[in-house]
Formats: sequence, structure tokens, C-alpha cells
Amino acid sequence: MKKQWLVRALSETLTLASTTTSSFTRSLCSSTSSSSSSSSSSSFALKNVTKSNFESALSNLRRLVRDADFVSIDLEMTGVTSAPWRDSFEFDRFDIRYLKVKDSAEKFAVVQFGVCPFRWDSSKQSFIAHPHNFYIFPRQEIPVGGPSYEFLCQTTSIDFLAKYQFDFNQCIHEGISYLSRGQQDEALRHLQMRYEDDLSELYLREARDTALVRIADVLFTERMKNRISEWREGLLQSGNSGSKFQESTNDFSQQFQTIFFKMRPALLLNGFTSHQLRLIQLVTVKHFENLVYIRVKGESSSVQQLIVYTESNNDRGLLMKEVKDGLRKEEEMKIEAAVGFRHVIDLLSSEQKLIVGHNCFLDIAHIYSKFLGSLPSTAEEYVSSVHKYFPYIIDTKVLLNANDVLRAMMKKGSTSLSKAFAFLCPEIASSVKGSRLGLKPHVNVEVQVDDMRSSNWNSGAKHEAGYDAFMTGCVFAQVCSHLGFNFKLHPPFTNLTHDEKLQKHINLLYLSWINSDIIDLRTGKQTAESSYNSLKFRYPKIVFSNICLIWGFPSKLKAREIRECISKVFGPSSVSSIYHLDETAVFVQFSKEEYVSVFLELKETLERNNDPISVLHPLSKLLEGGNTRAASYEFYKEICSSSISKVLFADQAESIGIKWKTKLLGENEMASFRNSTDESESGKMNSVIDDLSCSHFLVDETLDSPYPAEAQVSK
Amino acid sequence: MVPRPPMLQRRFLSTATNHRRRWPVKQVTKANFSEALDQIKNHLGDSDFVAVSLQKTGSFSSPWHRVLPIDTADTAYFKAKYAAERFQVLQFAVCPFSIRASKVIAHPYNFHLFPRDELKIGMPSYSFSCQSSYLTSMAREGFDFNACIYNGISYLSRAQESASKDRIGNPVPSKYVIQSSSALSVADAVFVERIKSRVRHWRNAFKDTSTRAEEALIKSLRKLILGSEEYGSRPCLSIDVCSERQVQLALEMLRDFSDDLVPLLIPTKGGETQAVRVVLTSSKEDKETFERELQNLEDEQNKRVRGFREVIDLISTSQKPVVAHNSLNDFAFIYSKFLSSLPSSMDEFRCSVRLVFPHILDVSHLMKEIGLMKKVTNLPAAISYLKRRFFAPIDMEISHQDDASESKIHGHDVLRISELFAKLCSILKIAPVIDEDENGHLPSVLEDYTNIFNPCSTSSQDHTIDEDVSVWTDNRRKVDSKDLVFLWGFRGGMSARTLKKLLHDSHDVFSEEFDVRLLDKSCAVVAFWNPGLSESFLEAMDSGGISCESLREMISEGLRVATYQTYRRACRLGVLEADLADSLEKALGDADSLSEAHSKESSEIDWDSDLMINLDDL
Repeated sequence: MKKQWLVRALSETLTLASTTTSSFTRSLCSSTSSSSSSSSSSSFALKNVTKSNFESALSNLRRLVRDADFVSIDLEMTGVTSAPWRDSFEFDRFDIRYLKVKDSAEKFAVVQFGVCPFRWDSSKQSFIAHPHNFYIFPRQEIPVGGPSYEFLCQTTSIDFLAKYQFDFNQCIHEGISYLSRGQQDEALRHLQMRYEDDLSELYLREARDTALVRIADVLFTERMKNRISEWREGLLQSGNSGSKFQESTNDFSQQFQTIFFKMRPALLLNGFTSHQLRLIQLVTVKHFENLVYIRVKGESSSVQQLIVYTESNNDRGLLMKEVKDGLRKEEEMKIEAAVGFRHVIDLLSSEQKLIVGHNCFLDIAHIYSKFLGSLPSTAEEYVSSVHKYFPYIIDTKVLLNANDVLRAMMKKGSTSLSKAFAFLCPEIASSVKGSRLGLKPHVNVEVQVDDMRSSNWNSGAKHEAGYDAFMTGCVFAQVCSHLGFNFKLHPPFTNLTHDEKLQKHINLLYLSWINSDIIDLRTGKQTAESSYNSLKFRYPKIVFSNICLIWGFPSKLKAREIRECISKVFGPSSVSSIYHLDETAVFVQFSKEEYVSVFLELKETLERNNDPISVLHPLSKLLEGGNTRAASYEFYKEICSSSISKVLFADQAESIGIKWKTKLLGENEMASFRNSTDESESGKMNSVIDDLSCSHFLVDETLDSPYPAEAQVSK
Repeated sequence: MVPRPPMLQRRFLSTATNHRRRWPVKQVTKANFSEALDQIKNHLGDSDFVAVSLQKTGSFSSPWHRVLPIDTADTAYFKAKYAAERFQVLQFAVCPFSIRASKVIAHPYNFHLFPRDELKIGMPSYSFSCQSSYLTSMAREGFDFNACIYNGISYLSRAQESASKDRIGNPVPSKYVIQSSSALSVADAVFVERIKSRVRHWRNAFKDTSTRAEEALIKSLRKLILGSEEYGSRPCLSIDVCSERQVQLALEMLRDFSDDLVPLLIPTKGGETQAVRVVLTSSKEDKETFERELQNLEDEQNKRVRGFREVIDLISTSQKPVVAHNSLNDFAFIYSKFLSSLPSSMDEFRCSVRLVFPHILDVSHLMKEIGLMKKVTNLPAAISYLKRRFFAPIDMEISHQDDASESKIHGHDVLRISELFAKLCSILKIAPVIDEDENGHLPSVLEDYTNIFNPCSTSSQDHTIDEDVSVWTDNRRKVDSKDLVFLWGFRGGMSARTLKKLLHDSHDVFSEEFDVRLLDKSCAVVAFWNPGLSESFLEAMDSGGISCESLREMISEGLRVATYQTYRRACRLGVLEADLADSLEKALGDADSLSEAHSKESSEIDWDSDLMINLDDL
């Protein structure tokens, strides 16, 4: 089985051939590459953005994106597949491929987000790129309610990131958090609900419940009662109240400080334990009608405990409302602040810029599930809603494979990002002089980070989102030029998205690179352009209705033996292919559709009878152990849509709670048929079995060695 | 451990710095693992106890996934199992310690772990979950994630090691017990004769040439002809075999040359033997040296394969009592990461753990023994509580030098556990010394406290133990799990009080005394204080609320009910959804086929007026 490492591991090989080794030491890149690169290239780190510089970076980015002709993106995640069998297979139907992407996007976290706006500078006849590398982390900044934030890490992916010197500390300590639109709405709704509650209930509930038990408490309460009433008396005797109060002991004035709160005199309580504060609250509520005990956020976000004097019930209500509104405002601001990195996504969406990614279907799914809302259950729904947010997306991998000229030029080279970059942008890719195997670039790209500019910049590291986004953008610019787009004659501006040559590639993404499934974001349909499909060697044509899924068989059984086993019953050419999902499960593709139902029924009959004849049956080798289960292809979809992920397929099937051994086709019809026979005498039931075995018999007639048991079964 | 409230932590730290300097804990990563392993082996031998504490990437994803007062030992185990299978251990602190009078002599180590696939065999862990709040609070404590991920020690569980034995493929010294073989067949005899003459020839050739000086060319020619290879600096010869029978025959034959030939078995990737390699040693002494080398090699190999599990094995073989805090959760993790996959019942788990760790002492259980608190779940609070209530001064003596360059303070909990344990022993008047005469047996008093995994012991009454913990008003009562029902599908955002009132007006059964608690925002549990009423209520629900207008209305609004059995089933099947209501719904759907008859065990539950659910969390 193929092992997937990272996001684009499918497509990207980890070639180091044409890139400098200096790009590996990420943190040290500025120092090392200056020594190893040629003099003409300058080196400064790309723009790393964390919590601390997010605000300023965002306001700069707003300007850059607004002016940009296109924006390239790239993501690094904590994993790709939550179980080996969730990997992408040839045997995955269109809808299943989406379910697998959905599972991946829902389970794993995005830890780095690269954004690189590209702008055509006509005075310099060159693109200006601004690579940004955002560290993001799903920190829970506000209590949204519901389950805590959780994400999965695929061990190999984490190890892979570590190999490329990913800075996990930076990510976890300093990463920018975010709220999706869905989460933000939820948080606001939550807030609304809380403030609809009766306010007095909110503040006074605890006090009512507390009863005085300890003698110390009683004494303390009594003392506080006196102090507070003394203070209130002082207030009422206007004028000299202040002076009288200050005569109190030093200790007292430290604990009780008279301040003004919302234009009303108030006592600020200091240095009490939470238990004492509760008692004070109790006293206030019980004995002083015009005093209100409240808790507010003071400066430096510490909580202040106050006793506020109000003039009347009316005034009291007013005060409560003021406090309540203040708190609410504060909460709303907190929620607003928690939106965090999503501002970048909102920016990309609202500016309606052309988004460029490389093999970016999974990236877009992550963006959707992290920043918009939960992923819809079907690809069609998903695609139409993505299209609303991002009307123009282009995938450089699709582009590279679609263009015959480019494909021919790249020979049979892989279309991985780093290969394509090295080929199309050799000047940037290999700042160290050397053999220039690639093409001469048609378009110049300058890099600008803050105030530094360079036309020969190479200080990024592969698999760093910001640098990968930059590479993607460069590749795109070169491909456009190869497609005949002349930036010098027609400054791009909005032209790119409407250009005729690009138009037929826009909004097409690889749903799966493995089987070259391309999805059209405008329609949600699978495109069947032959030019996209001719690239790869294909298995015999896959017919999903001919496929049967078998799992839980004895672990020593290999695909060849399973084929033999089934061929003995259905004939030598009955099985057109067998494919291992993992060591516990296989797909068997039959040559004819009806074999699937016949096989499932036969298996069921054999297990139900469990007599010596069944034991001698050629299939018994497959059924050995009694845990072998089988179902049609549709069941695979059911399994893939489950949110559970067990490592082994057989465990997964068990965990979703199946109780049958064989899932027959058209179970509904079967069930209703059985029900009707249940009521009649058993003779009819037998006839059903007869029918089943007859059909086996028919099949077996085509075999060279029909087995003798058959005749007896049908009796 | 649950991230502790900052206030408590601050308080603890301030008291800690008042009394003592910062305790140094030895931090162990891949780089110094071998060295630390040797040290800890000695320390384990010298100490009476060993404390352990784990830092995980998460523990419960939803409020109801915690162990609740309504949980029996069984359901608590299922919850612990669920967490242990999902989350990962990043730090494992181990501290062998002894108590002498009022002094604790401790040797604390903190191992940084990462489940790296060192052998490229997809083990020990394909993936693991992280709760961001856990990672964030580790970050606040200054945890170095890079060091952990880059240099953390990997491991394989015992089960994984045996499953992957055949995939590792190193030469194994033959440890065959040679059986008196049955009669040789002709083929066998031919095989034996053939290899015997070949070995003899080859051996003699070396014996001869060792005395004579030869030209290089002739030497290499001779080698070629004899099929001789080199194993390290020694010559060797490979004998191909095609069956385990031939392996045995070859080994038997080689016994005749046992004074200077050492046989090695070369395994295939599939685990069978593909060849027997014979290594020629120059003398008896040399043979011994070589065998020692092989042994070292094997040890090295094991170290590489087992990684951190060596420490677990050391603790296990030392048979020393293990002191932990929240032992159920920690040992569920230890079991699933380092031993095998977790069994499907609490009893089985208890038995299997006892085989590996015969004495497990839980400080939180001992805390309950001194007559208090179920509520103090974190160590600093427990220590400060004891400090205020009892006079039991304990000195800590740490064996490591305080390394100035090491600013890391991780793994301190393990010292807190040792300290707390010493205090508790002193308060409970238990002599915490292992008596030599009883050959390693625990004092019988302590023996009574071992291997208790029950989440809520039944022997305590409540106190107000800490001002920061909410005051409890009512007394706890016992309730049979039969008399509990779970309700969901009522209007969202309803408080327990409102729900209780609503129920009170809905049906006759609620005219008797009953109690309602919310378990999460969507689901409540109802306790009927009169036995039998739960059945009547279930019947009423089944009938759709016939003859009871308001109940019917609630049902039509979506009110659902489930028994404790359903709850247990949800826990057992591991369908721990974010909302309890969803889990119960799933478990109900799964109910028909499975008979639940066997689960007849302790069904008494302590009913707390104050379930440990903080509604503000929801």
C-alpha cells in the first residue's frame, strides 16, 4: 500500500535534486543560504505571522490582496488519512472520494497556512510576490460550549513535518486561533441566550443557596453587616460622609475602597477569600435593599467585586442593565477577537480574487470546514457552496497535466510542485549555479517582504506553507505565459479570471489524483475529458456494481487464494480483479453484475446451513473462522461516512455496529418477500432456498468441475 | 491530569518556593536514554516504591466523558479505555523512592515520548488525538514540543513487539531446545552428511591456514571455493535450509563442533528461518567473547525496538509497589500503550494489570481513606489541604544535582505524588517500608489499599475541604442503577429545576420523591427514590403517554428515555459522542440484538446532590 505523508504526498515526490540543501534548515535559512547561494540572490526570511504580529500583518495583507492579480495558497496539516484504508484507491467512486476528503478535513488540524499575493508591476515588467507564512492553531479562546477542540495527528505526518524542521513550539505557543462562521454564529447565539436569562437569577442564585453553618461565618457576616451599613449611613449623611469613612482603620480602608461605579458610589472589595465574598454577597442581598452586589471585569482583566449604592428600585434596574450591556459588549468583542485567522479567509473570499493552489481539493475542504462551517454530506452540495465563497479557483496540477505542450516539455516528469517549480522557474529554484535543465522563464517574479525586495529570492524551505504557496504562484505565472498569456501586452488585473485560455481550466480540481477524477466546481460534476485521463496506466475498467466487498477472512489468505477460491465456484474468468484495501479486506470485481448477488446469497446459504456440505464447499476456505463478512459496494460508502476511524477495516466495520454476516443485495425487496412467506407454511420458505440454490446450479454448470454437493442442497 | 485552575497552581508554587528550592527532575530524551535506563535500573533496585505520572494529549472530549458519580466501576473503565485508545502520552515521569522516617528519598525522571515509527512498520501508533486545551496548557508551562517530537523516545508495546518480531529480521542466536530427534529419513541423512562434510572441510581449512602465511590471492580464492563469509572479524559459513526440520538437523549436527562454532539463525521477512550461519571462533575464550557480543547486540536491538517500554518492563520485573494518582486512567494508558490492547471488561483489565503490576497504590484512594474529599482532584490542592489539616512534615531529598542549565520543570507531579504518599502514610500510621523478611511483600495494611480502581469509593462522607470548591449542601444517598433513567429531547437550555417541575406535573410517578440532574446540555438523569417507579415511568413512556396529557405532549415534542443498561451499553461499545443524547440514541438502536443478561454486578451508585458537572462548562 502506498503511504501518504503529507498533503500533497500523492503528487509530490521528495526530490532534492535541483534544490539547494540550504533550504532544509528552515530556521537558519537566512544565514545559511547567504553563504551557499550565488551573489545575485538575496536572502531574507519570508513573512512569518503569529499571534503577536497578526494585526499588523493582516492590515498589510488587506492592501496586498486588494491589489493582487491572483493569490496562491498552501496548507500544512497534522495528517492526511485517519486510517490506512481511508487512503485514496483506484476503487473509490466519485462520492466515496469526497467522503474520504471530508473525513480528512474534519479530523486533522491545519498548522500552517501560506498566502502569497502576486501583483503585476508593469513598470518593472515583473510580478511582485509577497509570501506570508501563518502559523495557526485551533486554540479555544472563548467557551463556545459543546465538545472541546480536538484534532487528530497522523504520526508519520508529524514526523514528516519534524524532518522539515517544522517549529511546533511556534505553532502551539504562538499560533493564531480562529472561529469558523458557524462557530461565531453559535457563540453569539449562546451569548444571546445567556443574557435573556433573568439577570437577578444570574447574580443572586448562589447567595440564596448558601446557608450559614460555621460560627466563624456568622461572626464574619455580622461584622460585615455593620461595616456596610456604616458605609451606607455615611453616604446618606451627605457631605461629611467621606471624611467620616476615612477615619476607619487602615486595614478596613484597604479592604473597602470607595469608588464611583457608573456614576454611583460603590465599595470595592479587596483581599477577601472567595468564601468571604460569598458571605458578603449574602449579607448584601439579605439586608440592604438599595445596595447591589456585582462582579465586573476591572482593568487588567481581573475581576472586581463591588457593592454599589442605588437610589431606587428603578435606579437599581438601570444599573443592572448597564452592567449587563457592558458585559455583553465585552463578550461580543471577545468573540470578534476570536475570529482571528478567519479574517484572512474572509478577505480572500470578499475580494473575489483568483485563488491558485496545487492539487488543492483537500486544501479547499480544510478551508471550508475550519473557517466556514461543517462540510455537507455530498460533493454536489459542497461544491456549490464553495463556488459561492471562492468563485475562481485554479489548480496548477490540473493546468500542467491539461496542456499537451507543457506535458511534452516536461517529458514524463512528475507534476509535483517542487519538480514543476524546478523545471519552470529554474532561476529561482536553483539559486546555486548549476545545470539549468529547465526552461527559460518567460515571466519575472520579484519577492517583497516588508521593505525588502529581491528579484532572485530563495530563502524558503520546501513544505513550509508560505514557500510552497510562493512556488505554486510562480509555476502558475510561468504556465500562463506558456499558454500564450502575454502579461506585458495585457496587464492581468481582472483579465486572468476571464481569459479564454484559462477559462476552460478554471474551477477544475482533482478530486483524486490517483484515478484522475476531476471535479468541476461550477457544476459539481465529474468531468470526463479524455485529455485528463490518458496519463496513467489504468486497471481494467472499474464497474462499481460488479464489486463485492469481503472482510474479516482468515488473515493468511492472499488475494490470489481468494481469487482461486471464488473462481472454483463461478468459473475461471468470473473474477476480473481483486484489490486489497488493507490486510483485512478486499474488493472483488466480478465479470458480471449478477455474480455479486449470487455470491452474497450463496455465502449466506452456506453459513446458515452449516452442514458437512457447506464445509466441503470451495468457499469454505474463505469463510473459515466464521468472521468473514461480505457486502456490496454500497456498504463501503456507509463505512466511509462513519466518523469513527479504526486502523483496520474489519475493526471499523465492527465498530459501526453491524450484526449481519452478509448484506444481501436489494435487502428491502428480500425482506418484504420473506415477510410474506413467513406467514404462509414453511413449504414456501423452502422454495425460496430452492430458488437460490438453483441459481447456483446454473452458475456451476459453466464450471469444469461442478461439485457434487449441489444436487443435495437443492432438494 | 486535568489542567488545573491557575489560581491553585499559583498558590502551590508560592508555598513551594517559600519552603524549598525547586526540585530537579532529570529530563530524558533519545539522546540520554541509554544512560538514564542504567541509572533508573539501579535506583529501582534500591527503592521501596515507584511513583508514576503521565502527561497526555487529552482525556475527555465532552463533559459527560469524564467519570461521573453515576458511573459504576464498569462504565468508568470503558470511559478510561476510550480515552487511552485515542490520546497519546507525551511525558512519562517515573520516580523510584523510599521513605525513611519523615524523609522521602526520591530519584525523579521525566521521559519525553513520541510514538515515532522507528522501524518503519506502522507502529506503535498510526495516529492520535490531541485536545488543544491540553497542548495549550502544556505550552503555558513552557513545554518544548520540538524537543518532544524531534527527540522523544519511541516504544513498542509487548503485543506489538511480538507481532513485529518477524518483520525486524536480525540474526538470532539459536536457543533451540534440541529434542531427541526421531529417526532420520534418507533425505535427512543425506542432508546432514552433506553439510557436515562441508562444515568440517571449511573449519579444517581455517585451522590449517591460521598457522600458515598465505598470499592474499590464494586466501581470497580459498574463500570463494569454500563459500566462506565474514561475520564481523570472524569467518562464517551459511547453510541454506528449506524447513524447520532441516534447521533442527543442522543445529544437532553442529553440536559436534560446539567448542568453537556458534550457530546463528537468519530469519526471513516472514519469520521463518532461511539459513543457519555458522561462525568460527578461534578459541574457547573467543567463543565466550563472541557469545557475549551477541547478547549485547540483542540487548541493543531490544532497546531500539522496545524503547521506553524497557522502563515499564523494569518497573514490572522489580515488582515494586507503584504509586499513582487517578490510577484507573493512568493504567488504562499504560496498558494500552505498553502492554497490549485493552480488554473488554473491567474484571479482565484488573486481572491482567495485576499480573504485570502486583501492587498499585492510588493516592486519591488513600485520601478518601482519611475520611474526606472526593472532590479534590488535583495534587497541589490535596497537598495544601493536608498541610492545613494535619501535621505531617516530610522532607524531600532528590538524588539529582540541580542542573543550572536545565530550566525545565516538567514531571513534578511525580514528586508531588511521592510527597503526598509519604504524608498519607504518616497520617494513616502505615509503615511505608518493605520488610525484607516478608520477601518483598507489602505491609498488610498497605496491601489492603492496592489495586483499587473504583472511581468513587463508597466509604466517605463529605466535607467542605477547600474554599474554592463549591459547598455541598445535601447528603449523598445511594441509588440503585435500576432506579435511574436518562431523559433527553426536552427543550434546549432548560435547567434541572425547570425540568423537574415539568416532570412533576407530567405523570403520577413523579408525585413521589425524585431527583433530576443535567449531565450535559441535552441530557438529564432522573433518580427515583422509590424502587419500581422507574419501570412504571418507562411503561408510560412506551405507551406514548396514554392517559397523561402533559407527558404525551412532552413525548410529541421529542422526549426520549433510556435505562442505565443503555448507558452502560453506550460506554461499552465506545459510542461516546459529544452529546450523551446522541450516544444513548445510538445505543438504543443497537439494543435489540444483544442480551445484557450477564451484567449483574455492583449497581449501587452514590447519588450526589451535586454531580461533578459544572454547568458553566456546558
